[in-house]
Parts: sequence; structure tokens; C-alpha cells
Amino acid sequence: MLADLENALMCKCKDKCGKVLINCTCDTSNKTRADFQKLLDSGLTVQQIVQQQVALHGETILSAPTKIGFNLTAWVTPFAAILVGGYGVRRILNAWIRGKKAGTPASGEKSPDPQEPISSNYSRRLQEELDKLEI
Amino acid sequence: MNDLGEFALMVALATALYGCIGYVLAARGNRLDLYLSADKTPVIVWGCVVVASIALWKAFMVDDFSLEYVWAYSNRDLDVFYKVSSFWGGQKGSLLFWTLLLTSYMVVVYFQNRKRNAKLVPYALVVMLTITLFFLVLLNFSTNPFERIPLPPEDGRGLNPLLQNYWMVIHPPTLYLGYVGFTVPFAFALAALITKNLDDSWIRLTRKWTLISWFFLCMGNLFGAHWAYLELGWGGYWAWDPVENAAFMPLIIATAYLHSVMIQEKKDMMKVWNMSLILLTFVMTIFGTFITRSGLIQSVHTFDEATLGYYFLAFLGVIIVICVSLIASRLPLLRSKNELDSFLSRESSFLFNNLVLLGIAFATFWGTIFPIVSEAVRGIKITVGPPFYNQVNVPIGLVLLALIGIGPVIAWRRATWAHLRKNFFKPVLIALVFGVGLWIWALPSNRAEVYSFIAFVLCVFVMSTIIIEFLKGTLARSHLHEETPLQALGSLVWRSKSRYGGYIVHVGVVFIFAGIAGSQAYGTHIEQHVKVGESLQIRDYTLKYERLGFIQENPTKTRAVAQLGVYQNGRRVWTGQPEKEFYKGQNQPVSEVDVRSTWKEDLYIILADFKEDDSATLKIYLNPMVSWIWMGAWIIAFGTTVSVWPDRLEARRRLERMKVQDAVFSPAQE
Repeated sequence: MLADLENALMCKCKDKCGKVLINCTCDTSNKTRADFQKLLDSGLTVQQIVQQQVALHGETILSAPTKIGFNLTAWVTPFAAILVGGYGVRRILNAWIRGKKAGTPASGEKSPDPQEPISSNYSRRLQEELDKLEI
Repeated sequence: MNDLGEFALMVALATALYGCIGYVLAARGNRLDLYLSADKTPVIVWGCVVVASIALWKAFMVDDFSLEYVWAYSNRDLDVFYKVSSFWGGQKGSLLFWTLLLTSYMVVVYFQNRKRNAKLVPYALVVMLTITLFFLVLLNFSTNPFERIPLPPEDGRGLNPLLQNYWMVIHPPTLYLGYVGFTVPFAFALAALITKNLDDSWIRLTRKWTLISWFFLCMGNLFGAHWAYLELGWGGYWAWDPVENAAFMPLIIATAYLHSVMIQEKKDMMKVWNMSLILLTFVMTIFGTFITRSGLIQSVHTFDEATLGYYFLAFLGVIIVICVSLIASRLPLLRSKNELDSFLSRESSFLFNNLVLLGIAFATFWGTIFPIVSEAVRGIKITVGPPFYNQVNVPIGLVLLALIGIGPVIAWRRATWAHLRKNFFKPVLIALVFGVGLWIWALPSNRAEVYSFIAFVLCVFVMSTIIIEFLKGTLARSHLHEETPLQALGSLVWRSKSRYGGYIVHVGVVFIFAGIAGSQAYGTHIEQHVKVGESLQIRDYTLKYERLGFIQENPTKTRAVAQLGVYQNGRRVWTGQPEKEFYKGQNQPVSEVDVRSTWKEDLYIILADFKEDDSATLKIYLNPMVSWIWMGAWIIAFGTTVSVWPDRLEARRRLERMKVQDAVFSPAQE
């Protein structure tokens, strides 16, 4: 119970240490923990104490944004960015694969001149062999 | 000496300015005399910065409190070891230290490339000189470390006690070596853009610089975590503090670059992407410096006089504008022939690896700036702390861990399903068997334990893929060359250092993931007030509080030391001695924790408080597998050393490969 509170709230020391209560070791944090323990012992729930603290100090006291209203964007944006990025990667890969297929000679196409120093077929095979060597 | 230091900084500024202008005018007007004259400036600037640094160090050593900076960060009783590190303990000195490292890198680049790479090197030096110029402007006009106090006091204020820890001596220089190191690939990338030499020569020139900078940044992050673990006394090692995030983001982006650049080296693809990534890495190092020194975002790590925000913001803006406009103007030249044989290929797995890495970097960036965004939109400044990052970054991190196992085993160009089945059957089977066993042994009961369970299974999967890769290679060599398995393993790694060095780095990363998973989900702690002779119990450890002693170490420092006998299964296994240190003139005492570290778990003891009757409040943490994180750091160090070790054979192979590729692809491109 106390650990849940310590995780949910920031330390409110005058130095503005910027630490979550559970990570803070200053005198203020020790006093705050003792006060919270008393509140828990008096029958208040974690949620009630958190609400009480927000009413007293504002949203800054919370260690993470709430998941409502504008704050929801904090939680959603990273995943949305990855999804959009994933869609983009997928499209790029498809375009590259299409590009490769378009560059490959179709069956029935005139075979390359055997007198050419390096034919496209040969160069492709050579590259494949080189790649195999690297693996 | 102080006058000399101050004068040296002024000369350095003037010389750097002359160097920048001289190089550019020489290039534009094709003036050899101007070029030869400007070409001496990197060494002169470095020499001046070295003189200024020696002057400041000397002031610390001789307790010259006529300098405001020495007075603020040292005192007569400070250990010589910490007088050395006080140099970078505050804003002014840390900027001088940054400049010292930057100019040192610049001089190495200068001598390394003096007689070659004539197309790129002068421009790369101009970029480095310009960045040096920015720092020298700050040092001369805004944060002069040689600022005097008219009536020098008898003694100094002393170094922040939290900084009096040997990890704090190692951590900042390591981190700075990483931060500053990325200036070199950045400078060469810009030089390539300016000169339109956009083949992969700038990548080849900076390959080792990038790896070494990545290594230092990685170590800097891990050393910082170790310092936090031992010195901050809260039982943890990473708090997702904005300044920690600032060091973490360039590391992650540089990791993405190190992977995607392999595709450019092998396939001549993704030129725009790689260029953007290396520029972004440097931009993030400056963003990190901006955060530390702006005071804009609340952090435990920011400097006391965080007043340089506007300078760094302006610098950041200029860099971004230059980078974006250069890339935009060179876009036609950067376009490469992008072709891919199959969706199932190492190339695509690297692209997804880049996506996930950048996802983590973006989530961290978004969390770091969200308080400012919220204040701008709603007028309410909120806090974004560890619960946010743990909920957002942990699932993304697990996907990354899976990709570490998948990527290296998939073939370049095209992998068939048969190939995948063959390569993944054994690792997946081993991971599944392990997973079932772990599930039966320790059924996850909360979200943290579920994440840890997934992480452990993935760690086993990744380790299996790596071990199988080593085994396959070793057996093949052993058969082909009739070597003993040990010889075959040695020559396998030796003959392909970058590849197997990379695998070793991956092993280190797996150790770090395992350490984080174990310590985050299965740790426990107690806090109890005890009298002398009383005992505490935490899991199978019994800790008997034996006594409290006081040591007056010097006139400004007193230590209160508690002694605890630690018993396991009735046998005394260790004596713990956590301390509380009191410094004259400091309001808050500092906790010095004592840790018994084994491969299995850390017993971490904090003396939280004590009373006149010698009774004490003790906090005891049992943190499983934390030592795995530090072990992972050393494995990464070993792997990176293997990767960057000079290899004539590899260099020759790469050269021959490039010749073959040129021969093969040039006619097609024409």
C-alpha cells in the first residue's frame, strides 16, 4: 500500500529534488512516508490519498500523467508513432521489393550477350555467393 | 597561472575563429597559402585549451580560492582524488573539460588524416572548429572558470558530497568522451554533404570513431547507473530522470545508426536515412547538454547555475537548420538504388530494429518534453516519471530483445522459410522449454513479473541463437582446418572481429536485460527501527544490528557507521557497514550504502537514521541479479574491443569486396 503511494507521488521537498517518493532519501520524504502511513492506518485508500495530494499540490505531485484528457496523448503518442513508422517501413520494403522485381529480366527476354565481361545474371550470382561468404 | 589560463582561452577563441574563416576562404578562393596557415589552427587551439585546463587543475591543487569556481567546488580538506574531479563538478569546469576533449579529438582527427582524405578533412575540421568556437565563446564571455573573487576566502565551499564517489570520477569523463566523440562522425557527415562526396567514404573514415563513441556513451550510462545505485541510496540504478534520458537517447539513436549503416556498407542503400541518423545523434547530444544546463526541466542532475539554456537552444536551432537544409539540397545525390529481394531478409529485420530503437528514443524524448508541452497547451506543468517510462518503454524494449535474436540469424537478401525453420527451431525450442520450466517454478503474479517472465524467455532465445552461431562456426572451422575447438573458436572470432565482436556485445545486452528483469520484478525491501542487539529478517537473510560508531575523518567530515552481522542459514556470511556522512556546511547528510553483491542477488543496506541511544532505522533491499547489469557492461566492453581491434585481413577483404561491387554494379548503374 505505502509502496503504491510512493510510486504514484513525487517528493515535495523544498529543494525540488525531482525524485519519485520511493526513490527519495531526503528528510522531507521520510516525513511524508510517515504521514502517508498514518493516513493509510486511519483507513484512507491509496486513491483517496492521491486525490487529496493532487488537490493540495496540483497534478505536478503525480509521478506520471493521468490517462484522461490531454494527458492521454502522452501515453498514446509513442505507440501511435511506432505504428505509423511500422506502416511506413512496410510500404518502403514493398516498394524496394517491387523495384527489384521490375529490374529482374522477365522469362523470354533476350539473354545477355555472353561476350559481355560481367552479365547481370553472373553478377547477381556472384553477389549471392559473396553474401553467403559473409554470413 | 590563472592569468595565463584566461589568456589561453582568449587566444584559443581568436585562433578558432581564424581557422574557421581561413579554411573556408582557402577552399573558396583556392588559396594554398591561406590553407597552410589555417591548417595549423586545430593544434594551436588544442594547445591553448590544454594550457587553460592545466591552469584550472593547478588552482584546485593549490587551493587557490581567489577563483570563484575553485571556491565553489573545493576546500582544503578535499581528497586530492576529488580535487582532480572537481574540475568537471560544476558548469564552468565541465564546459572547459568538454572543450578539452573536443579539441583533443580534433587534433587526433587532424594527425590521423593529415596526408589523406584531402576532400573531406578540411571541411570536417571547419565543423569541429566551429563547434569548439561556440564553447570558447561561452567560456570567454558567459561562464569563465577563471572569474576572480576580489577578497579570496580562507576556505572553499567544498564539493557536493554526492559527487565524492569514485564512480563520479569515472562516470562524467566516460559520458563526455561518448558525447563529444559523436562530433567526429557528425563533422565528417556534414563535410560529405558540403563537398557532395556522398559515397560511403565518410562512413569508412568514421566507423571506428562511431563505435568508440558509442562504447563510451554506453559505458557512461552504465557507470552513471552504478554511481546512482551506490551513492543515491534508494536501492535502484535508473530513475528515468530527464538528464539520464538525455544521455540515453543519443545512445539509442547511435545504436540504430550502427545497425542501419551496415546496409549502406553492403548494399549502398539508405544513404539519406544513415546521414539523418548520425546528424540526429549529434543533435541529441547537444539537446542533452541543453537540458542539463537550461534549468528548463527539473532534474537531480542539473547544474546549480543552469543559465545557459538560450545559448544551447540557439546553437541547437542553427545545427538543425543547417542539417535539414543540407540534406534537402543534396537529396538527389543521396538517392540510392534501393532494391530488396524479399521481405524475409536481414535488411528488413534491421529496418524493424531501427523502428523499435527510434520508437524507444521517441518515447523517451516525448516523456522528457511532455511537461513543457503540457504547460504550453494546458498551462499546467505535470511530471513524467518512472511509471510512464516503465509502462511505455518496457514492452517496446521486449520487442527489441526479440529482434536481437532474430536479426543476426536471418540471411542477407533473402531468407526462405526452410532456412528460418532450420535456424530458429533449436533456439525457439530451448526458449519454450525454459519458459515452461520458469512458469511452473515461479508463476508470474503481477504485470512486472509477466514482463520479467517474457524478458527471461527472450534472453534464453537470444543467447541460444548466439551460442548456436558460435558453435556452428567453430565446428565448421574445426573440421576444415583440423583445429581444436578452442583454436577454432579463437581463429573464428579473430578472422571476423566485427561480426563476432557484435555478437559478444549482444551477449552483454542480454545480461543487462536479464539483470533489469530480475531486479525490477523480484526485489523486496524492508524498513525497520532496531536497537543494538536486535535482528531483522529479509527472505533467508538474518541481519543482527551490532553497534554504531562515529569517525571524525577530517575537520569537515564525520561518519556514523552501523555494523550488522549478516547470517544465512545460521552461518555468518558477511559484515555490513552502512554509513551516514555529515559534511560541515551541508544541510543534508549523505548515505553511504553497503552492498553484498553476488551473481544471484545484492543485499543492499542503508542507514536511514539513528537516535542518541544508538538505535537505528535501517532499510534493507534484496535486489536479484543486479550484478548481471554490471557484468553486461564488461561484456559489452570486451565485445567492442574485439570489434574495433585493428584487422588488416578484414580491411583487405572490405577493399576487395568494394572493388568487386564496383565492377559488378557500375555498368548497371550507368
